[in-house]
Amino acid sequence: MTRHPGFLLVAGWALLNGLLLAVLAIYGESATALACYGIAVGLLALAALAVLASSVRGPREHTRYRLPVRPGSAVLPLAAAAGLAVLAYPYGWWLLPIAAALLGLSLALAAHDRAARPRRSR
Amino acid sequence: MRQADVFGEVFAVELIMAGAVFLAVLAAVLYAVLRRRAGAAAGPSERAERPRLEAAYVAVLAAVAVFLVVYTALANHREHRTGHVGAPAGPPAAPEVVEVDVTAFQWCWTFRHPRPGGAGATSGTCRAEEVPTLVVPTGRPVRVELTSRDVIHSLWVPELRYKMDAFPHHTNSFTLTLDEEGRWLGRCAEFCGYRHYAMHFWLRAVSPGEYERWVAGHQAAAGGAA
Amino acid sequence: MSLTGTADVEPARHRPAPAPGGWLGWLTTTDHKRIGLLTLGTSLLVMLGMGVLALLMRGQLAQPEEHLVGPQVYNQLFTMHGSGMIYLVMTPFALGLGVYLVPLQVGAPVIAMPRATLLGYWLYVLGAAIMLSGFATPQGAHSDGWFSYPPMAARTYTPGVGSDLWIAGVFLATTGVILMAWAVLWTALRKRAEGMTMLRMPVFSWSMAATCLMVIGAFPALLAALALLAAGRVEPAVFDSNLWVIGYQHLFWFYGHPVVYVMFFPYLGAVAEVLAVFSGRRFFGYRGTVFALLVFAALSMSVWGHHMFTTGQATNDYYSLTSILLLVPAGVEYFAMLGTILGGRLVFRTPMLFALAFVPQFLIGGLTGIMVGTPVLDYHAQDSYFVVAHLHYVLFAGSAFGLFAGFYLWFPKATGVLLDERLGRWHFWLLVVGTNLTFFPMFFLGYAGMPRRVVTYLDGDGFGLLNLLSSCGAAVLAAGMTVFVVNLARAALRRAPRAGDDPWRGHTLEWATSSPPPRLNFDAAHPLPPLTSEAPLLDLRRRAADEARGAREGRGAREGRA
Repeated sequence: MTRHPGFLLVAGWALLNGLLLAVLAIYGESATALACYGIAVGLLALAALAVLASSVRGPREHTRYRLPVRPGSAVLPLAAAAGLAVLAYPYGWWLLPIAAALLGLSLALAAHDRAARPRRSR
Repeated sequence: MRQADVFGEVFAVELIMAGAVFLAVLAAVLYAVLRRRAGAAAGPSERAERPRLEAAYVAVLAAVAVFLVVYTALANHREHRTGHVGAPAGPPAAPEVVEVDVTAFQWCWTFRHPRPGGAGATSGTCRAEEVPTLVVPTGRPVRVELTSRDVIHSLWVPELRYKMDAFPHHTNSFTLTLDEEGRWLGRCAEFCGYRHYAMHFWLRAVSPGEYERWVAGHQAAAGGAA
Repeated sequence: MSLTGTADVEPARHRPAPAPGGWLGWLTTTDHKRIGLLTLGTSLLVMLGMGVLALLMRGQLAQPEEHLVGPQVYNQLFTMHGSGMIYLVMTPFALGLGVYLVPLQVGAPVIAMPRATLLGYWLYVLGAAIMLSGFATPQGAHSDGWFSYPPMAARTYTPGVGSDLWIAGVFLATTGVILMAWAVLWTALRKRAEGMTMLRMPVFSWSMAATCLMVIGAFPALLAALALLAAGRVEPAVFDSNLWVIGYQHLFWFYGHPVVYVMFFPYLGAVAEVLAVFSGRRFFGYRGTVFALLVFAALSMSVWGHHMFTTGQATNDYYSLTSILLLVPAGVEYFAMLGTILGGRLVFRTPMLFALAFVPQFLIGGLTGIMVGTPVLDYHAQDSYFVVAHLHYVLFAGSAFGLFAGFYLWFPKATGVLLDERLGRWHFWLLVVGTNLTFFPMFFLGYAGMPRRVVTYLDGDGFGLLNLLSSCGAAVLAAGMTVFVVNLARAALRRAPRAGDDPWRGHTLEWATSSPPPRLNFDAAHPLPPLTSEAPLLDLRRRAADEARGAREGRGAREGRA
């Protein structure tokens, strides 16, 4: 297990939270509060599993870094799409198609960047 | 004024402890600044940790924490003990509980006295002279049933060192016992909008006899108005 | 040029990625250092703006029954000051520090998920713009405080579109912060250089790891709370049920307490680095500190109900238990910080001044935190100026001092130039005086019965003198921050001396590379040193000194024999 220290950290931390949640339940807190904490502990457990999966799949990730060599141009339209999407809440749903168009643009840019197959550097 | 007494005692204890800790840390920082400055000190210590000292220190911290947890929890329970309406365990000689219904609203208060006697409502606009007064007798437990008509407010009488939130669609209750006659300003502590800053009331404690007269007068006034 | 999206390389012979120039290059950068700097710069700008709002408030409160601004405006001021400082300044700045420094400190050439990090920055910027744009709407900005309890924040009582923009903006900015936290956490967990074991990570990187754990565990609750609030603004019947009114408070504070530690840990980490470097020694009690940070962070997830002691709808005993237990890990942190300086050889440069002031000042926030974590005391202190004083001692006298300690420490690393020491001292002393003059009187105001979030008070309340003192303090703070801006402007106009790679004799990996670091953090001219402990450069210097001494003694011995 010491081969997966990252997993151990996140899982241990989630466990500590689980313990505190159990004590809260003993104190008889309302279901709302327990559900809130319970979901968070669940999220942390999922995070621990994600770290474990990555750790098992590539235990020596630090010797082979993936370097982004292209600028993140796809990110800008994606962020704009997200911005318009939340603005649809005050200003109406008509903004959503525009957000969707920007999302499409972002995906196209990302696909364009990905088009050439990744290669190893020499 | 159980709340104020408990507050005073616990606050004094925690203030003394906090003061001692603060002075100790400040002394350590000043010592380091004066005696460990580059000009004065021989050289930095090579010692990376002192696990045994640290373990002993953690034990002391834990003991302090346990003391505080238990002590303050007991204080909290002491503060909220007794005075429940119709509590069967209450001593037979206990004075009759006065019930007061308090309704907070934007931006003032309404006080009703359903039991005993059943005086009508006191309210106001909390503007200029229209600050409502909650009249209660001294020496008798006052059971406050607190709710709100619109948003969340909070009933706070700073001199009593106590507050409780007023929720819509929910009633909170607590018991006050006032030992002495007097008049104290009450405020809204939870932000509630435009006139939050002016949402004041008066809490007036009068002798039981005067309270009875007040209730009778108020009943008459309420009846006359009806 | 190839269109490759990503390329796998071995760190020993990595190929520098093309560094695009110009504005667009910055705005679409995948370099964690640039994203970090963008985040830090943006949040610093917002900080100055939010500070101006605070000055307006202090102006209004300086005298009883003043009419500088009316309640309508005042309510917007405290709402935007509080939510701006929390959502848009202290939290993103903390994560920005992590984005910039954690890859460097763990010896990685890049951050994990650089595009997600960049997206996080942009969501934060857009969220900030949307939230602040409320000021430009007819009814003005949101006005219900940073925790915006329903039903007050429902459309019935706060109809303005500024509130909707606030919800949308906070949602977006918080999503961005969560993305950054994932990237930083993943970097610390999975991208450490070979030989950089978990227990060789510097204290700052550990504090970031603990911070990011809290972000990923607790921040989704804020998104849920905002969604609930948005739903309630569309359908008012939602808040006719007490379940959702109190449920909102649980959701909000489940985020709202851990965020306090998110706004504290990274700055504590910065202070730890500064204390060690300017004491010329290893940080004392490293393992205890790391363990305490993690326990601290876990406990902080379980204390949220202490914000709800007066609701009559929380198990006060439990939240009081966990809140008071916090003093154990906090005490361990103090043990380590004091141990470091008590066994050090102190050099008083600007970062050290801020770090040293952090220690007693934050302590005031912490000790009064125990008080407001005690239900019988909180029944009086809750929602009063006592709490305002407490939280500003934590977040300003504590965290902001840690922020400036870190700022002065790492500024030369990020820019290659030194800030002016004399102006730094002025900044420091004005801030110390201003902070304590502004916030200490507030304890007495709260104790005497002044509620928070009041636009004014009556002459008869007797709050006038203390409020005047506090407002004078705010003016001193403004002067201090002006000196800071002047210092930055001076550096920007290239009137500042070059810093060199390691101006402070640092301990951690970022000081082994150039200032500013190359695109991939370490290169042939600046290779990774041997990773021997959490302070590899200190080890290196000591080994060099030992060898020099050994050589000298060896020579002496030979000469003696001869």
